[in-house]
Amino acid sequence: MRKLLALLACALPVPAAAAETGALVRYVACPIYRDADSGKKSGCWLADDAATGQRWDVSLSPYKPDWNYGVLVEGRTTAAPPDACGAPVLEPVRTSRLYDMPCTRHMLPAEGYPGRRYKLQGRYIDPLSVARPVPPGPYAERAFPIYFEFGNDFLVYQYDDYLLDRAVTWIRAAKPKRLVVTGFAASRPETISGQVIAEPTELARKRAQTIAESLRRLLPGIAIETRWEESAPPADEPDADGIPGQSQRRVEIRALF
Amino acid sequence: MRGPRSNPAPHLGPVLAGLATVALATVAVGKGPPPRWWAPGEGRVFPQQLDYANAQGSLRVLLAGEPVATKGHPFFEPLGSNGRACVTCHQPADAMSLSAETARARWDATGGKDPLFAAIDGSDCPSLPQAQRASHALLLNRGLFRIERPWPPKAWNGAPVTPDFSIAVVRDPNGCNSAPGHGPAAGNISVYRRPRPVANMKYLLAVGFPFDPKQGYALPLDPDDGRMQSGNLMADNRAGNLRLQMDDAGTTHLEFRKRLTPAQVTRITDFEKRVFTAQQSSRQGGALDDMGAKGGPAHLRDSEPGALGSIGEPVWSEYAAWDKLSPADAARLTPEQLAFRRSVARGARVFRDRTFLITDTAGINSRIGFGNPVRNSCVFCHNMSQMGNDVAPGQVDLGTTTMPFADPWPDLPLFRITCLKAPHPHYGRVILTMDPGFALTTGRCADVGKITLQSMRGLAARAPYFSNGLAKDLRGVVDYYDRRYHIGYSEQDKQDLVNLMSVL
Ligand code: HEC
Ligand code: HEC
Repeated sequence: MRKLLALLACALPVPAAAAETGALVRYVACPIYRDADSGKKSGCWLADDAATGQRWDVSLSPYKPDWNYGVLVEGRTTAAPPDACGAPVLEPVRTSRLYDMPCTRHMLPAEGYPGRRYKLQGRYIDPLSVARPVPPGPYAERAFPIYFEFGNDFLVYQYDDYLLDRAVTWIRAAKPKRLVVTGFAASRPETISGQVIAEPTELARKRAQTIAESLRRLLPGIAIETRWEESAPPADEPDADGIPGQSQRRVEIRALF
Repeated sequence: MRGPRSNPAPHLGPVLAGLATVALATVAVGKGPPPRWWAPGEGRVFPQQLDYANAQGSLRVLLAGEPVATKGHPFFEPLGSNGRACVTCHQPADAMSLSAETARARWDATGGKDPLFAAIDGSDCPSLPQAQRASHALLLNRGLFRIERPWPPKAWNGAPVTPDFSIAVVRDPNGCNSAPGHGPAAGNISVYRRPRPVANMKYLLAVGFPFDPKQGYALPLDPDDGRMQSGNLMADNRAGNLRLQMDDAGTTHLEFRKRLTPAQVTRITDFEKRVFTAQQSSRQGGALDDMGAKGGPAHLRDSEPGALGSIGEPVWSEYAAWDKLSPADAARLTPEQLAFRRSVARGARVFRDRTFLITDTAGINSRIGFGNPVRNSCVFCHNMSQMGNDVAPGQVDLGTTTMPFADPWPDLPLFRITCLKAPHPHYGRVILTMDPGFALTTGRCADVGKITLQSMRGLAARAPYFSNGLAKDLRGVVDYYDRRYHIGYSEQDKQDLVNLMSVL
């Protein structure tokens, strides 16, 4: 089996972009589900970049595609071999569902690929029964980002809940006077894979309100001001994983003393 | 006649034949056998332990702490005008729910005069001739009560909710969505639901994590004590805590015109939190807490609620010891008992480990980003240790009430929902449903058909299953999932799952 996969890997054309690892890839496509089965959550998500003819493994996105809708893929090329899902791997990677782009659902059989056995790792939170360590001071003005998928104000599971939990733990310890929650939207139109895409400007406000509502529940009584800005510029922040588009689609929670 | 009695699954055949007699008799507790049926206001003392025979063996009800004198107790006294008490629909022998079988037995025993059949919701619609059995068909055949919800929706505090969908009545076989005073135009919608068991409550109230990952928010706060709410009460989660739930139950089911007093609220809450129930012994497998197994309600009573099976005690590992019975233990069992116990242990593994593709299920495949489809098992949704409900708020659209996944039941109303903003990600702009579920609380078309996962304990005592009684028996539950998700269970897998569920 291993041998077969290695042979298959050799037979695959090496994509131009993959040769240069860490390169940013961004395109719009209909996703393909590969029914690999190594237990729960082990299936593969693939998406073809029509411009280059390259099929990428986009399974490592924290927010996975819906096979009935298009996705905006944003990711970085890696040197990882294509043996989990049968395509070179983008990591880090994001796949945002584009609900106004209908797709024909397409499922490939496993064809010998194992997918990836699920492991709890990365950005996840402990149950409430596990006490959070108190972050050390001194405490001073600080901003915490929360990131979103394209076109969405939905809190991404095992990404945003982690970021929010971390921010709230710090805020509980630091006791700032108030919070300013600013939503941003990537509302400047861009052409990707021949499509003009832009986030609606009101998404900036919705994002701020969504996060402010959760903060009111997590930190009852704290003073919260919401603001919003469109045309967010990209920022280089570690939790955006080096994906410029991700850093544009954010909310900033600023703690003021 | 429809219902569990008319067409028993083959493996239940011999048991059901004898059930009519068993169902009305009570397993003796103490000296004389007290009646199986708890009538409102009868004044019995609720003991620390009750056992009731059922088709699969027997159910045990445990009351933590001291026995409760039910005389004058607001859970047991008829508070309102129709003679019912909470216990009318939450019967100990039926795992604190009410089986369709019991409803039929009450009809037969009382000629339909039991307050259970009160016009308000124990009939298909109050506008029907109440003396006729046919007017109570949904309760008698499917164990369903009428639930009337305001339209447009209202929040728990009466605040108006602006829905992002419109609703039209496609079919109204009972009149309660179109007769004068009824239906969306008159400001209400009637759906039909099974009573949810009032037991093992600490699990339904437990808060595991501070977020609702399905809705994408931190958990809402309880208006009474400011703490986070579990989001696991009621099919549509219209009540976030027990106090709001009992106010709702009082004014509707009991036709109680006053508010419950704080003292009554405290007494009902105290009772609800102390009742634990589960199957205690199996007709085929014997005692369920035997040879290392931890079946029965004592383990439920004694465990910490709210743990995720994937990081703590695996779901249904209560029966793990039966997977590796020692030859000495095995020799002490009859071949039938041994085979059954092994089947239960396998069933627990099928429940946890046998994966399938979950598709087009809002709450799992959208908006949360697990992917559509996502490969997982029964335990993905039924993930809480000991209980099998959802640790997170459990509003998921399995399709049990919504077309095309539900059966086209002509005796239930059908609504046409039109999403006014974004279409529903899986159904599109127009949805046909018999019960919009959670959407009747949130007013969101994305929530149409979502039903809160319920407890999985005491199943043997409370058929039929699912919020609308879609599955007449446990085999019906497995068959529904097998069809819905093209699982391809073998006959052995199905029987193992049925056997497992029969001993929860
Ligand atoms: C006429 C039958 C009936 C009576 C009487 C009744 N209930 Fe219920 N009960 C139901 C039904 C039906 C549901 C499920 C409703 C839904 O999901 O929309 C339910 C649900 C509940 C639940 C939610 C359990 C869960 O897991 O979500 C609780 C708690 C409860 N009832 C307590 C009470 C109390 C307390 C009383 C008395 C004040 C009472 N019930 C009277 C039929 C009844
Ligand atoms: C995608 C999430 C999901 C998965 C997977 C799932 N369930 Fe459920 N289950 C639910 C929901 C939601 C309900 C409530 C639906 C209703 O009442 O209409 C439910 C209800 C039930 C009930 C009914 C309990 C009652 O009191 O009526 C049983 C039994 C059950 N599930 C068993 C199973 C089994 C067996 C499997 C695996 C084959 C399974 N479930 C897989 C979500 C799930």
